[in-house]
Amino acid sequence: MDNVRDKLAKCFSLAFPNLDPSRIPRFTAADVKEWDSVAQVTLLSLVGEEFGIDIDFEAFDGATSFEALAGRLKEMGIG
Amino acid sequence: MRLGEALQINNTPAAEAGRTRRLHLVCGFTPLHLETFAGARARLRLPDGDVHVATGLFGDLEGNLQRASKAGGDGAIVALEWSDLDERLGFRAAAGWGAQVLDDVLEHIGGKCARLEAALAALGSVMPVAVVAVTLPLPPLTHYPPAQTSLFELDLRSAVTGFLSRVGGLGGVRLVSESQLSARSPHAARHDAKLDLHAGFPYSVAHADAVADLCVECLCPAAPKKGLITDLDETLWKGILGDAGPGGVSWSLEDHAQPHALYQQLLASLAEAGVLIAAASKNDPELVRQAFERRDMLLGRPQVFPMEAGWGAKSAAVGRILRAWNVGAESVVFVDDSPMELAEVSEKYPEIECLRFPADDPAAVVALLHGLRARFGKSEVREEDRLRLRSLESAAALADAQTAEAPADFLARLDARMTLEFSDSPDDGRAFELVNKTNQFNLNGRRYEAGEWTSYFRQPGAFLITAAYQDRFGPLGKIAVLAGRADAGGVRVDTWVMSCRAFSRHIEFQLLRQLFGRFGASAIRFSYRPTNRNGPLREFFSRFFPEGLPEKDGLDLTAAGFERDCPPLFHEVSIHGQRQRQAC
Repeated sequence: MDNVRDKLAKCFSLAFPNLDPSRIPRFTAADVKEWDSVAQVTLLSLVGEEFGIDIDFEAFDGATSFEALAGRLKEMGIG
Repeated sequence: MRLGEALQINNTPAAEAGRTRRLHLVCGFTPLHLETFAGARARLRLPDGDVHVATGLFGDLEGNLQRASKAGGDGAIVALEWSDLDERLGFRAAAGWGAQVLDDVLEHIGGKCARLEAALAALGSVMPVAVVAVTLPLPPLTHYPPAQTSLFELDLRSAVTGFLSRVGGLGGVRLVSESQLSARSPHAARHDAKLDLHAGFPYSVAHADAVADLCVECLCPAAPKKGLITDLDETLWKGILGDAGPGGVSWSLEDHAQPHALYQQLLASLAEAGVLIAAASKNDPELVRQAFERRDMLLGRPQVFPMEAGWGAKSAAVGRILRAWNVGAESVVFVDDSPMELAEVSEKYPEIECLRFPADDPAAVVALLHGLRARFGKSEVREEDRLRLRSLESAAALADAQTAEAPADFLARLDARMTLEFSDSPDDGRAFELVNKTNQFNLNGRRYEAGEWTSYFRQPGAFLITAAYQDRFGPLGKIAVLAGRADAGGVRVDTWVMSCRAFSRHIEFQLLRQLFGRFGASAIRFSYRPTNRNGPLREFFSRFFPEGLPEKDGLDLTAAGFERDCPPLFHEVSIHGQRQRQAC
């Protein structure tokens, strides 16, 4: 699981380079003004690339926090 | 390149000292990953500064083109897809695919193309533009089975081909090669339907990277190599000349030697485009002469200079060729079938790119030919390219003749004619090319990107002077460029270059005399800066500043000082260009 969270954190740091990496696990879209719909697609594309999965964007609707994304990945059997 | 890598590149702070280039990404879809890859590819190609990619509005390609033109910048990537020509040709529209709709599409596409052409012409006039067009598959619009092309698609593609053919001829516009794109991005893997419908971005990640890479390469092409040195036996032809004799070597299909014919064909074509071709061969010079007299040779003897045939080391022959060409080893490719000869040359000249001619492997020869084309590729072949070889031969003849008599007497009998063009326009492609490739006679080593060069001439008082030259040894073409600004503060020269082919003819003195005369200036400020390679320029100025040149930026030369130390000049000078600016 740690490996999954590390990989997910890496995706976040690439998508949101200006944010403090130590706070990544607490990020939500509401706290990050750069986290708009385009950033969400970029973030999910990075997640797809990092985990080698085909992203179904609709399946990640509402996954707008680090924890929510980690939870969806877990539901997909990752982590 | 993966998306994560591209973001990593974009997120890395740029070199502080470098400037920020403004690149426009013009498309009708959401720019998303294409924007990311365009930024990353541009930063890799231009590592000395930062890159800012500006994008436009969704669904408004035409408007985005117009806004980019108004905003100005260092370059633009235009990605045009079917849905930009007609929204109904995209996957996000639902207006029907009936016969009437398709007829309507064909009826209106000409007008759309005409408007886009006008907008691209305007954009190309203010910055370099790379256009990549209709890379995605069409939706299944017609009733035809997949194996059969529909007349609708043929008509549609015909309209687009005509449009692209016109666009490719516009100043400042370069079209991305579809065959190169196909090699990097297979057609079936280009469209990402999920991202297209979800986010309005139609490209797969791999396709976005391929498009960005080729567009950036079109905007900022690598400097082409200048010369190719070739071996003869088992390279230019099949067989050993010393054993088989001039009639026994071959390059024909019948003799199973077609790879050598293809190679000869390519070298002849490169020579026509101004690439210097020389031969370095361990052979009897008389036999080589006889072989080149064969009427079926595809590479003509006049296209080869110098011809180094003898029994010494290949590296020694290569050294003599480099001196005759007066080009740096890094601009040269050496081709030989012998790994030993390649290693010997490479050891002496590590900057030369040494390539083996794989005569026994046709597929490898074809790959070599493609590779050579790529190394010498250029967007435009100019008159000067065609004159280059002849002028080098003239330079050699001139050097021989010059040793036989006093310099002034010799120059007086050259029948030298100089043609100067004064303008305030950046449109002379040859001037731009010379500024960006000349090292030795170069005021300060400053290079310009196309957008910068265009911007330079928007400054008040900016002027450009080019000089073409010919004498009894033949024409050299346009060989000198000087760019500066003249205003109430005086005349300042920011850029001055002259081809090394033009040395020893006092062209540089005549150019300055005309510059002083043109502006009636009592003194001219030169943005001089010493570089590792501009020794000839430094030597020229030293004549006027015997006490030494400044180590930092700039020097002032007075008209009186210039005339005092200027040698006698014998050129017949013609001046063109009406836009004369009197200042100071």
